[in-house]
Amino acid sequence: MSRPTSHLGAAFLIGAFFIPAGADAHGVVGGRFFPATISSDDPFAADELALPTITAFNHETDYDFDYSKSIFPGFAIGIGVGYIDATPPGDPAATGFSNLHIAPTLELFRNPEHEFIMSAGLDWEIGGSGSMSVADRSSTYTPTIKFGKGFGDLPDGIGYLRPLALTATVGYAIPGTISKSIEWAGALEYSLLYLQNNVRDQGFSAFVTRLTPVIEFSFSSPLDPGGGGTTGTVNPGLIWSGQHEQFALEAIIPVNHATGDTVGVIAQLHFYIDDLFPTTLGTPIFGGKR
Amino acid sequence: MNARGFLACLAIVAPVTPALAHAFLQHASPGAGAVVASAPKEIALEFSESLEPTFSGIEVSDATGHNVEAAGAVIHGGSLHVALSPLPAGSYRVVWRAVSVDTHRTEGSYSFKVKP
Repeated sequence: MSRPTSHLGAAFLIGAFFIPAGADAHGVVGGRFFPATISSDDPFAADELALPTITAFNHETDYDFDYSKSIFPGFAIGIGVGYIDATPPGDPAATGFSNLHIAPTLELFRNPEHEFIMSAGLDWEIGGSGSMSVADRSSTYTPTIKFGKGFGDLPDGIGYLRPLALTATVGYAIPGTISKSIEWAGALEYSLLYLQNNVRDQGFSAFVTRLTPVIEFSFSSPLDPGGGGTTGTVNPGLIWSGQHEQFALEAIIPVNHATGDTVGVIAQLHFYIDDLFPTTLGTPIFGGKR
Repeated sequence: MNARGFLACLAIVAPVTPALAHAFLQHASPGAGAVVASAPKEIALEFSESLEPTFSGIEVSDATGHNVEAAGAVIHGGSLHVALSPLPAGSYRVVWRAVSVDTHRTEGSYSFKVKP
């Protein structure tokens, strides 16, 4: 959830742009459970808390807090902020709070039979709300389309592909000072829970059944002349989903030198507030639960 | 609100309600993809949470789509059982839906086979 200032250096800025935002929603569509992804957003509007998300990448360590509250079924507002500890090469070290993010998400369409969901969101980075040393002074608005698709509707002949699911987002970032860009991200997941319960019982232990191998990706493609080339990361890892919480650990692999030169790591502890507090904090403010 | 403030709010609200969750399937007999030598007399499912009997259920059908349950589902806590009619050799489909007592919904389906 970090958005550093320009005076930390262009390379640092480009790299840090890919420190992922945290609070993303888990959800269920039809027979598919989607765990919360940590390097890319997913399409669910839910009650969740990510605390903390720790990211170490490109000479920067971030400690992020994100909370999402459902207002009515299918609509939630997320809030996120982080603390940045940056040591960019050639520039003085800088620490401080990142800008505050406000991120409403509205679910537009669900098709349980095909494990499909589509939603629209907006990420508003409030310029100047963070520390001057690390946070941009101007706001960035990123309207985003998000979707998720489980492949449980594949034929039995290729049953071992049915645990696969894909989530993806495409956003149009409108910053105040730098190039507009297309922000595209997503996650390819293989649910061992789905494999065990819907395809073939593998005799996994309860712990292993709750694991989801995942490859997330997050890219930014500047649109303005002089905005530079596409940068991004590919993040393979594992998500373990419990009844009320999940833990995720991923590597952060830059796709080119403009993004970074070393592999980073991201870890997150995530709480399903709707499961922890099903009749109070975990329900929408208006309209009851989904 | 900072993290400390939010957690303070959680601490205040948390004791009010028990922690419940989605009811995920933890064990099935026969299990997904099983090939059994003798016809099972029932389907037994175990879930991670207690179920709401009114809204939870199961259907078992043969390759032609005809239901083969011999009686209604019996639900106790997180266990769901349904007796089956005598099953000839063939392929069968199990479709279940589970609503936990806090009304979170889950569903799933799988197939198993009875050997000739």
